[in-house]
Amino acid sequence: MHRKPAMNRSALSLVVTLAILACRETPACPGVCGTAVILGAEPDVLFPPVTHQDAGIGVTDMIFLKLADIGPALNTLGDSGFVPQLARSWDISDPTAIRFSLDPRARWHDGQPVTAQDVVFTFDVYRDTLVNAGARPLLQHIEEVTALDSLTVLFRLRRNYPERFFDTVYHARILPRHVLDTIPRQRLASHPFGRSPIGNGPFRFVRWVPGQYVELVADTGSVLGAPGLARVIWRVIGDPVVGVTQLVAGEADVMPTLGVPENVERVRRAPHLRIAESSPSFYAYIGFNLRYPGDRGRAHPLFADRDVRRAISMAVDRAAVVQAVFGDGARVGTGPLAHTLWIYSDSLKALPFDSAEARRLLASRGWVGRDRDGVLLRGANRLEFELIVPTISQPRRRAAVVIQEQLRRVGIGMAVVEIDFNLFNERQRTGRFDATFGAWSQDPSPRSIEQSWGSAGIGGFNHGSYSSPAFDRLIHDAIAAGDPGTARRHWHAAIRQINEDAPAIWVYSTRPLAGVHRRFQNVAFRADQWTSLLWTWHVNPDSTLPRDRLIAP
Amino acid sequence: MAGFTAFVRRLAHGALVAFAVVTVTFALLQLAPGEPLAGVAESPYASPEVIEQMRRNFGLDRPIHVQYARYVRNLLRGDWGMSFAQRRPVLDALADALPNTVVLGLAALLVNFAGGIALGSIQALRPRSALDKALSAVSLVLYSLPVFWLGLMLLLVFGQVLGWFPVGGVVDPVTHPSLSPIGQALDRLHHLALPALALGLVGAGSTARYQRAALLEVLGQDFIRTARAAGLSERTVVLRHALPAALLPTITLVGLTLPSLLSGAVLVETVFSWPGVGRLTVNAVLQRDYPMVAGAALLASIAVVAANAVADLAYRLADPRTREA
Repeated sequence: MHRKPAMNRSALSLVVTLAILACRETPACPGVCGTAVILGAEPDVLFPPVTHQDAGIGVTDMIFLKLADIGPALNTLGDSGFVPQLARSWDISDPTAIRFSLDPRARWHDGQPVTAQDVVFTFDVYRDTLVNAGARPLLQHIEEVTALDSLTVLFRLRRNYPERFFDTVYHARILPRHVLDTIPRQRLASHPFGRSPIGNGPFRFVRWVPGQYVELVADTGSVLGAPGLARVIWRVIGDPVVGVTQLVAGEADVMPTLGVPENVERVRRAPHLRIAESSPSFYAYIGFNLRYPGDRGRAHPLFADRDVRRAISMAVDRAAVVQAVFGDGARVGTGPLAHTLWIYSDSLKALPFDSAEARRLLASRGWVGRDRDGVLLRGANRLEFELIVPTISQPRRRAAVVIQEQLRRVGIGMAVVEIDFNLFNERQRTGRFDATFGAWSQDPSPRSIEQSWGSAGIGGFNHGSYSSPAFDRLIHDAIAAGDPGTARRHWHAAIRQINEDAPAIWVYSTRPLAGVHRRFQNVAFRADQWTSLLWTWHVNPDSTLPRDRLIAP
Repeated sequence: MAGFTAFVRRLAHGALVAFAVVTVTFALLQLAPGEPLAGVAESPYASPEVIEQMRRNFGLDRPIHVQYARYVRNLLRGDWGMSFAQRRPVLDALADALPNTVVLGLAALLVNFAGGIALGSIQALRPRSALDKALSAVSLVLYSLPVFWLGLMLLLVFGQVLGWFPVGGVVDPVTHPSLSPIGQALDRLHHLALPALALGLVGAGSTARYQRAALLEVLGQDFIRTARAAGLSERTVVLRHALPAALLPTITLVGLTLPSLLSGAVLVETVFSWPGVGRLTVNAVLQRDYPMVAGAALLASIAVVAANAVADLAYRLADPRTREA
């Protein structure tokens, strides 16, 4: 009996084959070639001053350049390690001024030269409240920006401090004055330019099909040099599981954030893929609210007591938590910093896991009785609290359950309350929580530690209202220190201080794991913003795929 | 004249429904826990100072009744507001997403009704047979399947394992811009197949059960007996007389199916990375993008009212008796 041949893959993929044949294909892979299909969320907007979400920042960083960019070591002091982008050189000898000489080769993607007037215009836009750029507060040190000639620009600063160069160049991408200066400022954020930008970076914007993809092509005349890839397609995915399926099926090349360990495992099993550490790096912590929930005028009945906080910290075996949730994919937290920050050191240690010491400390504070659930009592009060966890973070939800069990063994009751991310944010911001399982991604400057944990951050990002004059003083000294060695010493002292005070349990520090197709070479992920280095990737000529040789119309 | 009056009455009813949806949605969004812009409040790129300025720029610092009055006034002028997250008019975002949802919905309707009517008719023609029982089980299983699970399974089996269909998306972004118009159409159909199946098959189960019951009832009626007695072939009796009569109750299902189709589209669009109104709505809810959520709700209510009107019209066209009522 003759069987009807089974429908094979190629027959059913006729459409795809037709599609590929219909495109022009280069015979080999000369010069710039290679297409990277990247999976991510949809960018919010491609106008750098108001782009807040990671996807939007990732794409704009390929289209727009800064005057200079931070180096691979992510140093933020002085100009050490910084690499030229639109500026060919700079002079920082004056403590309250920086003079930049622009690279005369720098061009906008419409062919116009990048000028000093563009730089002046850019910083005017970034500091305008009508535009309300996210980086506006970070540029307050700039007093005035002046074009000395078409290629020289002078920044006058309000004060001298070690990170003045970092703050001046890192937060702002230069904008095209000749395109934007006629648009009223209050309309800039929603102007169509944000969905069809003209940039000056290594990749040129081609199209944005809403909800589907953003396409960029190499700008071979880029001031940085020709990119190693001819085309980048930022493909929008609705669900990480589907994204991993696309990656494993070979429909995509890079997924910068794989998410849960199951996804990582699926990628690990695919022979054509490899795992890499991506960005942004962040640390996760259980932060105690030192003030009464919803009333910062009163002390918290449990967490105002330093010894109770220390005891709870020491009752948590963070190494076991990290192992249970991440395996080898994260590090045990050492303080309020990610392990990629330049001040990080393995010598930093948080309070150790010591359940005997935890019990002793609690007993010394009067927590000696037990109720029928095994929860410690002081008089009629139970040693219990509520931990809020955002539903959006599976690792934190898992870690919370492990920690809950560890605390239970010591007699501490912790109710895990999983809540929607927006509500989680609001409760943190308004101080309506006992403890929060928070996480901070950090830009390269350690100053974010001051915003999150210093007294100045209370009412802002310091949700738990931790306040320590000693910590504040050490932070101040660290920020003021001009050389890396002194700064690092002060930062370490500050971190030791906060670790002793235990306003939080530093649970883990990690970088997201990415899945990357093996045909890419020179794959580098910078810990603060991985797409910054995508232009240096290239495809091994011996292992190109048909999509690498396609030339977009 | 009576038809025109009925049309005007239905239009007024639809406008009232839309107004109620706008008001209720606005109220619910105000009552929802969390606050607008809370989604960006924790971004390291947005300080409290920036968030506060953003609140002022979007008018969120005004009293709620002022915000509501302004929203309704703008709606009446055709301005559906500005998306907080996307920084563009809500209408533009909906206009981008709507065609994708319409295409998916129509394709799913086709799968739903073609599959359901065929399945139900086959069962009704062989009632209580083994085939009828087997197909009943199939339709029950289809009816019971969670649409997102079915979608994921289709993706895994036909997308990843067999490689017959693409894993999500509307087109292949790598090749699509370079294709001929025919190639682009084929590319779209290739991408449409799995999401349309996922969304349509689940509904096909219930359509089959309706169709089976309707056809069985019609086959037992006098005019069918008369047709058979007149010597018409069984094929003619079924195709010319029984099936059209049995389709009447099924036609009304089209209007009733739309709400479930829209809710199913939310899940299918998320699973298949299909950029329709459903996924837009989910993202807007997650980001507390109030203007976008309100716009999507208004659009959905307009769609449901319009679909019911179309179903009514179709019913009146299909059944001469209703035209005189």
